[in-house]
Amino acid sequence: MNKSHSILFFVLVFLLQLVISDFLHLGPWVTVCLLPFMILQIPLSRRPHVVMLSAFGLGLLLDFLSAGALGLNAFAAVMAAAPRRFLYRLLVNRDRQDKTEIPTLRSAGNAKYIKYLLALTAIYVIAFVLLDCVSFRPVGFIIVRILASTVVSTALGILLAISFQHQH
Amino acid sequence: MNNRAGLLSTLTAIILFIVLESLSILLLVENSVVQRFRILGTVRTAQAWVWTRTSDIHYYFNLRSENEQLAEENRQLREQLDRYAATARRIDSLSVEEGPDFIWIGATVIKNTVNRQRNHLIIDRGRRDGVEPGMGVVTSRGVVGIVGAVSNHYAYVFSLLGTGQSVSAKLAASGAFGPMVWPGGASDRMLLQEIPVHIQVAPGDTVLTSGYSTIYPPDIPLGSVVGTKVSKGSSQELTVALFEEFRSLHSVYVVKNNRQPEIEELYEQVP
Repeated sequence: MNKSHSILFFVLVFLLQLVISDFLHLGPWVTVCLLPFMILQIPLSRRPHVVMLSAFGLGLLLDFLSAGALGLNAFAAVMAAAPRRFLYRLLVNRDRQDKTEIPTLRSAGNAKYIKYLLALTAIYVIAFVLLDCVSFRPVGFIIVRILASTVVSTALGILLAISFQHQH
Repeated sequence: MNNRAGLLSTLTAIILFIVLESLSILLLVENSVVQRFRILGTVRTAQAWVWTRTSDIHYYFNLRSENEQLAEENRQLREQLDRYAATARRIDSLSVEEGPDFIWIGATVIKNTVNRQRNHLIIDRGRRDGVEPGMGVVTSRGVVGIVGAVSNHYAYVFSLLGTGQSVSAKLAASGAFGPMVWPGGASDRMLLQEIPVHIQVAPGDTVLTSGYSTIYPPDIPLGSVVGTKVSKGSSQELTVALFEEFRSLHSVYVVKNNRQPEIEELYEQVP
């Protein structure tokens, strides 16, 4: 897959996230978050500053276009983007030699890739849900929402990763 | 060089992270009433928590000076009370002399022993504070001892917990009095001796200083009776549980009897 295809895929995922945010209402328990997957799709060679700024821009754009609370997705996206490289080296590639620009299920290995995606998604969802409903929702609700949103978002991210890999 | 560049890069990344997250929160607060309410509410809760803890810590570190202030205030009140009592007595006797019978000097115990046959204390008041040998040392819960020696800033006190030490004490109910001595052993028990056998004594009766010595003021509570036995067939010996906990002595008062020289002069006139 060349660079323009990657960018197109990236844009399509963002549009999908926008459609989900605006039109697909799964109730108060589940929030589908594809931004962690998008953060994962940013090439590994990019410096942390670039990744954080990109994540912030994406989050802000999503907040703006989906008419949500401005800053909510931006906050969660930066939170997930900041430890991205650390998590990659911790969970996927320990020898600090980044052989691939964008990790895929094949290059990283299924289990490692899923752990990596799960970790990023969990951080994103925790930040998002806590900021969205802390102090006025019961703790039980918050925990269930975090778990459900993380599972659904990770599952959708895996499907997108498979699709990305097939195109590759 | 690489290390320095790496450190700089990490630092800027951390700063950027903080800036972006702060900006997000700011946007959220500015654009969403609900979020503003929640975030500011959380901030206020956190502030209240920090302020409460800060106040607690401040209070804790101020306890020492608060204690000293209270001790000083207590000392002044005692003197005032003593002055009123003296005035009341003199009004009864048509005397108009002024001045309290006792002067109270607040002090802090800096050394204390309780497990010897003759125990002692060191207090942080000495000659320059008006402390002299022979003065009594008391608290609001009992008698502590007698000043034995003084330096400019410190005084050595013979503890009441010493064989050979005694204090003149009386029963609050009957007024019967006698010497109270420490038999050794437990630091919270003393013996009130020479109480006539015909005096009715019950467990729990309060024991006070009699005021018959020139060292200690009258009516300082000393303890309560926990046991009685007949001694030498003609008097009772009462076991008294002390109110004062000698093991945790901290603030004490040195008492100076202003009438002591006059009383001693009187003794000297007697052939």
